[in-house]
Amino acid sequence: MAERPPRVIVTKIGFDGHDRGSRVIAACLRDAGMEVIYTPPWQEIPTVVKLTMEEDADVIGISSLATDHLIVPKLLSALREAGMSDVQVIVGGIVPAKDETMLLASGVAQVFHPGASLDDVVVSVRALSEKRRSMQGAST
Amino acid sequence: MNTVSNMSIQKALGGDRRSIALAISALENGGEMAYEVRRAIAASQGRAHVIGVTGPPGGGKSTLVSVLIKGLRKKGKTVAVVAIDPSSPFTGGAVLGDRIRMGERQSDDGVFIRSLASRGHLGGLSMAAGDVIDLFDASGFDVVIVETVGAGQSEVEITRFADTRVVVCPPGLGDDVQAIKAGVLEIADIFVVTKADLPDARKTESELLAMLTLRRSQAATPAVKSVSAPSEEGTDALVDWLDARSERGRRHAAGGAKTAYSLVSRCIAGDNMAQLLGIELVAASMGSTTLRMKVMRKHMNFNDRCHGGALFALGDMALGLACNSYGKIATLVDGQLSISTAVEEGEWLVAHAYEVSRSRKIGSYQVKITRARDGEHIAMLHGTVYVLDKSVEAPVNVKL
Amino acid sequence: MSDHARWEAEFAKGVVGNTTTYNRSGIGIKPLYTPQDHNGAPFEESLGYPGQYPYTRGIYSTMYRGRSWSQRQLVGLGVPEDYNLRVKEMLDLGASALSLIPCNSVFRGYDADDVPSELLGTCGTVINHVEDMRVALDGVPIGDLSTAMNDPSPFTLLAFELAVAKRRGVPWTKITGTSNQSDCISHFVANHMFFRLALQGARRVIVDHISFVNKHVPGWNPLSIVGQHMQQAGATPAEAMAFTLCSGIQYAEDCIAAGMDPDQFLPRFTFFFDVSVSFFEEVAKFRAGRRIWAKLCRERFGAKDPRSWRFKFHGQTSGVDLTRQQPLNNVARVTTQAMAGIFGGLQSLHTDGYDEVFSTPTAEAARIAVATQNILREEAHLTDVIDPLGGSYYVESLTNDMETKINAIISMIEEAGGMYQAVEKGIVQRMIGESALAFQKKVDAGEQTIVGVNAYQVEEDPATYPSLEYPDAARMQSYLGRLADFKKSRSSADVDKAISALAKSANTPKSNVFEHVVAAAEVGATHGEICGTLRKELGFGQPLTVV
Repeated sequence: MAERPPRVIVTKIGFDGHDRGSRVIAACLRDAGMEVIYTPPWQEIPTVVKLTMEEDADVIGISSLATDHLIVPKLLSALREAGMSDVQVIVGGIVPAKDETMLLASGVAQVFHPGASLDDVVVSVRALSEKRRSMQGAST
Repeated sequence: MNTVSNMSIQKALGGDRRSIALAISALENGGEMAYEVRRAIAASQGRAHVIGVTGPPGGGKSTLVSVLIKGLRKKGKTVAVVAIDPSSPFTGGAVLGDRIRMGERQSDDGVFIRSLASRGHLGGLSMAAGDVIDLFDASGFDVVIVETVGAGQSEVEITRFADTRVVVCPPGLGDDVQAIKAGVLEIADIFVVTKADLPDARKTESELLAMLTLRRSQAATPAVKSVSAPSEEGTDALVDWLDARSERGRRHAAGGAKTAYSLVSRCIAGDNMAQLLGIELVAASMGSTTLRMKVMRKHMNFNDRCHGGALFALGDMALGLACNSYGKIATLVDGQLSISTAVEEGEWLVAHAYEVSRSRKIGSYQVKITRARDGEHIAMLHGTVYVLDKSVEAPVNVKL
Repeated sequence: MSDHARWEAEFAKGVVGNTTTYNRSGIGIKPLYTPQDHNGAPFEESLGYPGQYPYTRGIYSTMYRGRSWSQRQLVGLGVPEDYNLRVKEMLDLGASALSLIPCNSVFRGYDADDVPSELLGTCGTVINHVEDMRVALDGVPIGDLSTAMNDPSPFTLLAFELAVAKRRGVPWTKITGTSNQSDCISHFVANHMFFRLALQGARRVIVDHISFVNKHVPGWNPLSIVGQHMQQAGATPAEAMAFTLCSGIQYAEDCIAAGMDPDQFLPRFTFFFDVSVSFFEEVAKFRAGRRIWAKLCRERFGAKDPRSWRFKFHGQTSGVDLTRQQPLNNVARVTTQAMAGIFGGLQSLHTDGYDEVFSTPTAEAARIAVATQNILREEAHLTDVIDPLGGSYYVESLTNDMETKINAIISMIEEAGGMYQAVEKGIVQRMIGESALAFQKKVDAGEQTIVGVNAYQVEEDPATYPSLEYPDAARMQSYLGRLADFKKSRSSADVDKAISALAKSANTPKSNVFEHVVAAAEVGATHGEICGTLRKELGFGQPLTVV
């Protein structure tokens, strides 16, 4: 059976609108052979959950430059409530050290800081996508 | 890794969103589950109105689709959207960006948007697109909108998939109005001039109308309407026009897929060669058929691989059923088989036949034969058929 | 053998291989520049004097000898009282002008009681109505100091300031400053943070804003055409300058179409640029930009008054060049960027705090940023000579090259139908995206060094990185309480009347929308109410995103 490429949502929740980073990541994941569903900033959490479900995405990449990462835990609980706890969530951007611990504890798979190389991001996303697919098989 | 089970296929048919999403992934993945899904949806076709929207990049397609969704929702219709973007031929990746232009529509529960990447399919659409549309139809959506980039052959492909074909024309094309006519005039049911608030829009609209009235054709003249997304001027008229169209399942030609499936099943049941070789029907619709066959001892050649003739027979069977599915006898006049991979005993093969083109007398078809286990490409059959003026007389009382 | 040939030969012995490097704009740079590169035309023709068309050496005859650039530091965090405190600190330390940056919720057009409270006040000050503005500006001499409001269409913050001025008895003719985020085009292209209304709706409001301000607040610059967002989003310096000038062309033409006289509105057009660490490139960018704009104003728009031809700009050191690793290195970067801006001839400067990458600056980082400017001016004496790099073979040659490149991009945009069309078609966004990706790839490949990131790294403990404390939750709650009280205490009849007049005005082409925004602000309408009304009438801003 032909496996399809990893499907990744690249999005921003909260208020910040600076999206250079998320666009670079989206282009880079595409160049790495992945299917990227790219959204504009200011997505509401229920919308992100709905689109993750419709697109059967493996990974959600949240770009956060202001303090919007503070509401990522809300996204994670919304995903759990919708029965999608297999979907992997990563956060990239400006995250103070104390908040990184909090995010990982709330279920975020990985946090990327400024200066992270694109290759590292690609490798991680691919691994997380495989992890999700194996989890998916188990839970049906 | 099968993530959609038979139970969830049933749930998908019942309209459960999560199950629909998983079923779509199964269709995209190919393999065993894809056939289960196809088989399950084959019978429930033809209820939804499938609207194809195509046009040049930057022409305002996604904005138009967003506005259409809004209008249709106001009329209480449920809407599914298949948004297709091209995959990079070099990396295989894609940025699926159409849905982002649909703004507020995304959070509406009566709307389901799925983005598909073309994944190398030559026509620009995705191989699974037709199946995904059929799935949305079977699971109860009133309207299915298919949005594609009007590049290469995809405008023509939209004929296969849509009941109503909308071609979007941005204003200011100027001399390019001439350029859009190659092939596109023939397939459009309606031209929509977007950005009607811009000064060039009136000019484009009149140029289109002029060009269409000069055309000599027996087919109905396409309509031309103008729409402006920001002011929503013209949208109500367009939505009313679309809603009033009675073509449903036209993409499956008259009668719909149900008829096709029923006819094809009777045909294959009465076919001696199919019985001999153990070829089974998986799914069928107008102009398309999927079959499967397990490679057994009786198919093997002296090199202990599946005989080329058996592959040809499988492909020819699929092609024959596909081109006869309209009810008129069609017969192969020229067929060519290219084989890429040898097949071992015990493997299940799947043959998917689809129509490349069809006029009154001549049809061109392709059959892709793959290995069910992993989707590996095995062979491709190209065939040209000649259509007779006689009806297919499939036996009525066969055991199916 | 000539001296030049001899130098070439000796150089080739010492340095092997291709010796051309490329700056961010893609212009080839040689190891040495001589009179052969700078065209050697007579001084008056090729270079000219400061304060004289086309102003290559500076827009004023006196430049910093007459008046220093304004030290205009961005301030914004927490609640209005916090802003007031920090602003007074900055003024004591030598800042000579104000810049207010509101909370992200305000940028998005919402009142504080409409949004998740975790996100309030973390990146800017929450200001929702005239009373908030009164508190924020309490004791600040707004009749004497210039205030930059970082507030896009429909410019409610200026409306609140004008209302406060009226209550204080300060005549509007004495209010000076700039609507710093008035350039809706740049927001649509590259900073979706900042727009609230649909593009064509914002286009309408900016023209009304310019017209109102020119008439009633003549000391205020209603339009700041912004190159910062595009450069921060990844545009090369040449692209950023070109796109900005193209936006300027659109705004000027819209004003002319609305019947305004170029000599009336052009003197109040200003620009806002990012200043990157690519030192000479930035200097050349600004000098070239000045020349091109002067020519556009005189020849294309037909302005006759020399004041209309002047390219006035504010520079902000580029936060995008700063790193999280070894944060104190950022002080050196900001210094380099500030110098480039000064040698480029800016009129007003904001220097970033070294902790910019982590959060809104701490008080200490903000102090160092202001001190940097004071040191450059008063210890390094950078302002003693006007345009000191003028005449340098390299700088003049690079200025010409940048001018050529910028003009080529401008022509391309013009051919696509102008900036609005190019943006709607996604051309500009695509170019910026490509430049951003190309730069990142260079960094990843090690071709572009970023100290501490891909070279000269050290082991660092992330726990030692600076971080601003988030606003006190109790303080925010108390603010929300005051907001609720304010809503109760105002006359709802007056507010409703003003809001419906505003809505009506949006649908009446001849009416001035901004005039009604000001009227609504004066009777106590909140920011969210004003923005919400206009969004309904003029459309909700959706980004024209293209990846």
